Amino acid sequence: MASDPHRPLAWLWAAILAGCALLLAWQLRDGLPSDTRLTALLPEDRQAPLIERASAQLGRPFENRFVLLLTADDLPATSAALAERLSGLPDLARLDWRDVDLADADPRETLGAYRYRLLTPALQAAIDADGGAALVEPALERLFSPLGSPQPVRDPFGLLERWLDAQDDTRIEPWQGLLTVRDDAGTRHALLIGKLAGSPYALSAQQALGEQLAAFERAHPQAELLHSGLIFHAAAGARQARHEITTIGLGAFAGLIVILLTVFRSPRTLAALLLPLAGGLLFALPLTLALFGRLHLLTLAFGVSLIGVAIDYALHLQSDRAIEGSRFRLRALLPGLALGLASSLVAYLAQALTPLPGLRQMAIFAALGLTGAWLCVVLWLPRLRLPAHPATARLAERLWQLTTPRRRLSPWAALIGVTAMLAVVIGHLEVDDSLRLLNPSSPERLAEERQVQSLLGSDTGSHYLLVRADDEAALLDHLARLGETLDARIDAGLAIGYDNLAEHVPPPAEQRANLERVRRLYGDPLATLVARAGLPETTLTRARATLDEVPLLRVADWLAMPAGERDRRLWLGEIPGTEPGMLAATLVLTGVDAADEVAALKQLSAGDDGVEYVDRVARLSTLLGELRRHIAGWVAAALLGLMVVLSWRYRRRAWRVAAPALGALLGVLTLFALTGTALNVFSQLGMLLVLGIGLDAGIFSAEHARRPATWLAITLSTLTSVLAFGLLAFSATPALHHLGLTCLIGLTLVWLLVPWVRPANATTRQESAHD
Amino acid sequence: MRILSLLLLLLCSLPARAFDLEDLQARLAATPDIAGRFEQTRYLADLDTSLVSRGQFRYERDTRVVWRLETPVEKRLVFTPQDAASLDEKGGGGANGDDDRRRQQAAELLLSLLDGDWEVLERRFDITLAGDAEAWRVDLVPRQQAVRERLKSLHLAGGRYLQTLGLHAADDDILEVSFSDQRPLGADASAATADEDPNGE
Repeated sequence: MASDPHRPLAWLWAAILAGCALLLAWQLRDGLPSDTRLTALLPEDRQAPLIERASAQLGRPFENRFVLLLTADDLPATSAALAERLSGLPDLARLDWRDVDLADADPRETLGAYRYRLLTPALQAAIDADGGAALVEPALERLFSPLGSPQPVRDPFGLLERWLDAQDDTRIEPWQGLLTVRDDAGTRHALLIGKLAGSPYALSAQQALGEQLAAFERAHPQAELLHSGLIFHAAAGARQARHEITTIGLGAFAGLIVILLTVFRSPRTLAALLLPLAGGLLFALPLTLALFGRLHLLTLAFGVSLIGVAIDYALHLQSDRAIEGSRFRLRALLPGLALGLASSLVAYLAQALTPLPGLRQMAIFAALGLTGAWLCVVLWLPRLRLPAHPATARLAERLWQLTTPRRRLSPWAALIGVTAMLAVVIGHLEVDDSLRLLNPSSPERLAEERQVQSLLGSDTGSHYLLVRADDEAALLDHLARLGETLDARIDAGLAIGYDNLAEHVPPPAEQRANLERVRRLYGDPLATLVARAGLPETTLTRARATLDEVPLLRVADWLAMPAGERDRRLWLGEIPGTEPGMLAATLVLTGVDAADEVAALKQLSAGDDGVEYVDRVARLSTLLGELRRHIAGWVAAALLGLMVVLSWRYRRRAWRVAAPALGALLGVLTLFALTGTALNVFSQLGMLLVLGIGLDAGIFSAEHARRPATWLAITLSTLTSVLAFGLLAFSATPALHHLGLTCLIGLTLVWLLVPWVRPANATTRQESAHD
Repeated sequence: MRILSLLLLLLCSLPARAFDLEDLQARLAATPDIAGRFEQTRYLADLDTSLVSRGQFRYERDTRVVWRLETPVEKRLVFTPQDAASLDEKGGGGANGDDDRRRQQAAELLLSLLDGDWEVLERRFDITLAGDAEAWRVDLVPRQQAVRERLKSLHLAGGRYLQTLGLHAADDDILEVSFSDQRPLGADASAATADEDPNGE
């Protein structure tokens, strides 16, 4: 039946797929290099690489660390039991839970040389007031207290202790050998901080940690655990995805099998129909991996379902063959199949040109998959001898009778309907670019995360001020001034906190002034102290001699110390791509959770060239919005291009080809507008699918207008797609839910619209030639 | 400083002593509040000189330790486990307020150890006990390298009560405290001895 010239091509295609299979096997030798980060889909921020770097640097501790807060009656024993379970985990680089675990970070030795340049505001004020006479009493107390470890020569007034104490704003307290925090009610929680050796997205690490925690909770049912850290969110997301793949995914697949068996009544036909799916996947997977290195899981989810579109080609071919029998010719179907593929390819490849890495990957995966599936259909399927059950033809006939409208659609009614819907959409449609869409975590888990963060007084670095200056002194000056401004605002009632590098490394001018103050303090007050304590006279001269050579504390010195480790996230250093010497640092804000606080911070940074207020969440939302508008723009452009092609082939009937798809999209938007469902990037991706499938339906309907076989194929195609995507509406992952909901509504509308806009008779050249 | 508090704690809590730590713990729990005199000698290696101070002390179980210096300066120091605010008031405010928190932690640890929680102690120290109930000696060596870099060892010695307590710092400074005139305190005696000056200096 198939002509001979196609035979070599079929073999060539088989050889290519075999090569792909080998390539894939080699790529998968260590498992699928996948990426589950939803944010990996977002575009790189090319306009602001410095902000991108600052955000990444601030977010890193949250990614690589996890925190557990334990509440139990016997805190020491329960903590020890938990720590013992966790310390055996292979993916854990470090676990801090005893007070001594933090003892090696003692800053006294490293910071000692700089102490005469570091004064707390209280000490500055005391020395400025009376030269420091009031400091003699506390120094005496330190000298004679059994708790003190006085250093009469190096630091008779304990300046360094004061400095360290003032900086120690952590809420973590050592208690009974544990690290603890107390909540507002005074309840003590033990703190366990784990540092991951690898990625928080590694499934093995997630599972091992989850199992140990579950075993611990079984063994200690009365103990309460609070979790914080990306690994818990990632694990919950992965669990949910697995769960949904098994329920929704398998459910959809089972439904598909049942439908195809019902219609074609032959397992062999079923296998032949699924063959293009496998071929498309086998073609797309290795090539995408080769192009991108790793596969994003969302690409896989979206892309695999999209190849489900590819089954449409097989469905059209098989429906036609089952009903036409020996009269079947591939040539008659070829234009429709080719145009269907071309329309989808144009829509997807257009997105491959966008600057959005995630979208590009999805588009290329989908385009490759569709092409592979299409080639399988065209080159292989006609050669396979498949049984044609008479039930298929009967079914097609009955479907045709049941669903063909008795009347024609009045153009005026259609026009009025479209106008009304457009008005509703324009008037009421809302958009939502909030980051919640990307966050698969449940509200409970997010609340728990916030609770831990607030108990620890820490932050995830989502609000900060980005500060730039020409050199280190100017930068520290700027940071210190910002700190003072913020202090004033906080005193006036602004309920936020902040983390400022300049509090730990004072600007050089302040360090100089501090040293001068210490010289005053080492005059009469020191002499008084030495005399009253009965210390030898040499104490005086030796203590004063320590002030001769005091090094300036520089940012690099501080960051290199163990105590400065926490501040490394704040320091950005030299800015690439600017004149040399330009430096940047961040000032992290905590507890920013109200609109008026954001407004106050914006106002603070307004009019200051060196300062920029960054709200990471808002920023990511902006990027999401950009993604959404990009998709809309590219799809509109692709649609315009397609319309040109369609009008070239279908002339004045082109609108009939486009109507099901466009009508369905308009219907979806209207429904969204009426129900107050906001449009987001994922519902737009769904609309893209509706557009692709709807155009296919329109093309086939126009090519073979009044044939029950075509209508059966279109029906099956929409039904299988509804199963593949529409069921995602029941997903708990926001992204998939929105995609699914759009497909569910849109595809149903496509199916409802096709009969109304079908051409009255079959008049394309091929069709008449065929008959 | 934390170590020193621990030490002080031990000092106050070790008057009754047995051969093993469990016995000791049981006795500690039974020990009443104590008052007495102390002499503290702090050897400063750097200056090769010693600072000697004398005064009275008073330990109230689960409540606080009062350290009343008489010479060479007069001072009253109070270490309590829970109430940091009282220290803020008593310890002299203003510029002195800054380091209360750190000392608070030290005092808190000290007093929690007074309960005789050897489990906690043994997490940080290798503890050796020698002698008998009438003349005993305990040596404590920090387990953590990071702590040993500041503190070489602690030792306590006594009979019925703790009599001496020593601390050898890594920089060769030595703190020696010896106790005398020790007596258990009745519940009604709380207004007497070291605590007659409730407002500190």
